[in-house]
Amino acid sequence: MTGSARAMPAAAGTAADQRRPRRVPLLLATVAAVVALAAWLLSVGLQRDPTAIRSPLLGRPAPDFALRTLDGDRVVRLGDLQGQVVVVNFWASWCAECRVEHPALNAAWSRFRDAGVVFVGVDFQDDRRGALAYLAETGTSWPVVADPGSRTALAYGVYGIPETFFIGPDGRVTAKQVGPVTYDQLVREITRLLPGRSG
Amino acid sequence: MTLRPARAWVRRPAAGLAVLLLVALGAVAAVAARGPAPAATPTDRVQAIASGLRCPTCRDLSVADSPAPLARQMRNQIAEGLQAGKSPEAIRREFVAAYGESVLLVPPRRGVGLVAWVAPALLLAGGLLAAVLVVRRWRARGAAAAGGPSATPRTSRADRALLQRALARFEEDGP
Amino acid sequence: MDRLGRYALLLALALAIWGLIAAVVGLRRQRPLTVDSARTTAFGLLAAVAAANGAMLAALLSDDFALRYVAQNSSRATPTFFKVLALWAADDGSLLLWNLVLAGYLAAIAFRFRRYRPETLPVALAVMYAVAVFYLLLVSGPSEPFATLAVAPPDGRGPTPLLQNHPLMAVHPPFLYLGFVGLTVPFAFAIAGLVGDGLSDRWVALIRRWTLAVWCFLTVGLLLGALWSYAVLGWGGYWAWDPVENAALLPWLVATAFLHSVMLQERRGMLKVWNLCLAVGAFALATFGTFLTRGNVLLSVHTFATSAVGPMYLGFLVLVLAGGFGLIAARAWRLRAPGRIDAVLSREASFVGNNLLLLTVTFVVLLGTVFPLAVEATSGRQVTVGGPYFRRTTVPPLLLLLFLLGVGPLLPWRGGSAERLTRRLRLPLGAGAALVLALAVGGLRDPAAVAAFGLAAFVGVANLAEVGAGVRAAMRPGGRSGPPAALGALLRGRRRYGGLLVHVGLALAAVAITASSTLARQSDLTLSRGTAAGFAGYTLRYEGMRTLRQPQRTVLVTDLGVAKDGRDLGRMTPSLNLYPSASEPIGTPSIRTGPLRDLYASVVGVEQDGERATFRFFLNPGVAWLWVGGGVMVLGGLLAVWPTRRHRAPPRPPVGPVRRREPAAVGRG
Repeated sequence: MTGSARAMPAAAGTAADQRRPRRVPLLLATVAAVVALAAWLLSVGLQRDPTAIRSPLLGRPAPDFALRTLDGDRVVRLGDLQGQVVVVNFWASWCAECRVEHPALNAAWSRFRDAGVVFVGVDFQDDRRGALAYLAETGTSWPVVADPGSRTALAYGVYGIPETFFIGPDGRVTAKQVGPVTYDQLVREITRLLPGRSG
Repeated sequence: MTLRPARAWVRRPAAGLAVLLLVALGAVAAVAARGPAPAATPTDRVQAIASGLRCPTCRDLSVADSPAPLARQMRNQIAEGLQAGKSPEAIRREFVAAYGESVLLVPPRRGVGLVAWVAPALLLAGGLLAAVLVVRRWRARGAAAAGGPSATPRTSRADRALLQRALARFEEDGP
Repeated sequence: MDRLGRYALLLALALAIWGLIAAVVGLRRQRPLTVDSARTTAFGLLAAVAAANGAMLAALLSDDFALRYVAQNSSRATPTFFKVLALWAADDGSLLLWNLVLAGYLAAIAFRFRRYRPETLPVALAVMYAVAVFYLLLVSGPSEPFATLAVAPPDGRGPTPLLQNHPLMAVHPPFLYLGFVGLTVPFAFAIAGLVGDGLSDRWVALIRRWTLAVWCFLTVGLLLGALWSYAVLGWGGYWAWDPVENAALLPWLVATAFLHSVMLQERRGMLKVWNLCLAVGAFALATFGTFLTRGNVLLSVHTFATSAVGPMYLGFLVLVLAGGFGLIAARAWRLRAPGRIDAVLSREASFVGNNLLLLTVTFVVLLGTVFPLAVEATSGRQVTVGGPYFRRTTVPPLLLLLFLLGVGPLLPWRGGSAERLTRRLRLPLGAGAALVLALAVGGLRDPAAVAAFGLAAFVGVANLAEVGAGVRAAMRPGGRSGPPAALGALLRGRRRYGGLLVHVGLALAAVAITASSTLARQSDLTLSRGTAAGFAGYTLRYEGMRTLRQPQRTVLVTDLGVAKDGRDLGRMTPSLNLYPSASEPIGTPSIRTGPLRDLYASVVGVEQDGERATFRFFLNPGVAWLWVGGGVMVLGGLLAVWPTRRHRAPPRPPVGPVRRREPAAVGRG
């Protein structure tokens, strides 16, 4: 028993010896091509995050909303904020990762509020009492609105909070972050949108 | 072969079978022609649209099947849209505008998605064609190897009956 | 404990490498003693891997949270039963189980061939050892089940809530693994048949029954998965066309095709190259399945956490595909025997149809599963391929296949007279046509469902009639009658009757699947405590909620009173389980199973401390028959696989030459 695939003894009795040269290289090439294709495809698959959905809103006008704040005293309308940089953050009091990003949001808010940047927090599938308690506990000073029926969340394509959208003065969505946003990200995206800064 | 009382349809069993087959196929065709049941209640119409959308949070399920709160709210939004007179296509477009094409549970039939829809039909047609060709080629080789039907000596009726009985017993006793 | 586990794994790896080397060297240098050493090493390998698994089990049971795996997948509060199951609850531990099953199969092969040693054994052993080396490298390398934490936490996180909710977790993964891993055996022997000098194609006869047993395990694993999806996940269905579910279905389809086409090779010497391709393909698809599960390539409810094993799996998959199909391309041409059949209306032809239809379904499901990935890789667009796509594309070939399931067993080998065929077709066709007519008149609107019901009746009657006719004919010679004689006849022809029984089970399952897919009803209802609502003829009354505190979770149990036509039918108790580690509750549905329909209730949300609760109710017709049909399929498979008394080989000297002619009895085994 030779055991090696390449050494071909003249096996007695097999009828098709003569056909070997023509067909085999083509078959081998086909196998190699198909396997290479599969390997490439699956390696691409390994490198991407299957949970990430690319937002179709990027570059498009942000969906308008007119939502009442949690304490009920006023209505925040996105249309009124035309001309300003707006950061819309979807969160909930039951969401652990929202707590993780809160300090970053707070820091960015302190830095940019005087520059006319508006932060709007949108409460997602939450109960009002829990949300108000969360706001009191964390000392959130930017306007936070309730989203009944999650209509705004659905319009923005929210699927996994926390989600943060950056809207430029022209009303278009320039960036979206799914998952906790970092301070550096906030600074980077906001400064990009502020007028008078060159990129 | 045991002799049976010679009822008409026993003598022509193939005809009986053909009738049965026609009845069955005809019934299926009639059902197909009748068309699907119209969506009776508004809930049915919502379900029809929702079952074509993918729940963004529990990703394996359709919006119709998913128990997630977001799916429930999507169904509410679909219901409101239908009440407001929007067409199912318009409602779907709204969700695609927010979530992208991946919110549709099946690939759209235009563009690259067409491949996904055409390929299975081609595969089935190809498979059936291959089956037919293979069987025919093998049958031809089998006939040729047997020396052709004209080479077979004619067997007597009694011999054939004997052969059938033996074959029957062989099959029924198992391989 | 972790040191014991680690050393056991290293020992196992060393033994596997030795086994591989010994098999190859013994083969090349024609040293039967070396080959036998390779064979007996399998027992040592099993012992080492079992020790590693035992070490992990001991660590879990003793709450040894110094081990990272125990800390992440167990806790003090976890019940003992689920602590044991935590062994395969997550990626690293389940790889330990995988290795155990693989070592078990190696040892079983080593034991099976301890006296009679086919010429294909050395290469088959080498291939199996190579696979074992890969999986042992995985657990010794990137996936470290015995990794320790610098500081042992006081308590563990506990298993993923979904995986400790139901005892089915005990059996679903092990059976699936028995099936997946078992496909290594036909693969190894196929490679052996290719590489060997005589290009022995008798490998098929050797491992036919192994493959059938593996098929049974896979069937059980898939059924348990469906049962789990239905009874545990709470969305009301049993198959979501999840990428990982699909990846488990694909090897099953190919294995089914293989089980049929090997009969053509055994009887007529045909399809040798095709069977090689099927054996390699089944194993490659099983490897692809585990790759999807662990490599985080496609999103699925099954995906384990991201880990570094993905690239290794990809490399192994490439090796299997390139090596297996490359060998076939290079060497199988010498095996080819031109196919030859006697008639179109023959069992052989129906097997050709069977294989092509099964492979069509396989390719369609494979296409749908990887299509999103392919589209995103080439164009960047994101599309989804979900349930409706798979349903629409697999139903036509499956209906055709269902037809073959009824006609095929009626067709004799080598063809027969058309009269006999028509005679045998009368009853089944009559049953099918009658059912179709009844359903059409009765107002069913879905033509595919009507066709499916009719075909299922056709298949069931055809196969049962065959079993009946065969058993009756076999009983006649002895003149005995009655159940014992019938049983005897059944057992004597069990290879055939087992197969027919599988077809009957499949027909039952087809009825169940068609009924539950097309006739199900569902409704979302919010009820206040004390109020009732109607659904599908039942009156459901929400009586209240109670809270059960258990060590590992809090359970909110809702009580629903069920009544129909004024008659009280008892209580259903769907519940919500709140685990400390999960942000959302996991629902447990409550199911009233009946022969005709299941009433299924799951609670989706509770408000105001149980004053109001939102429920989802389903009426699922026929689901019970899915489990019954599946059970019949497995029974049929077991019947077919049960060994016949093998002719004892004449006594041989303890160690003989490696070359050996196989005794004739093996062909029947």
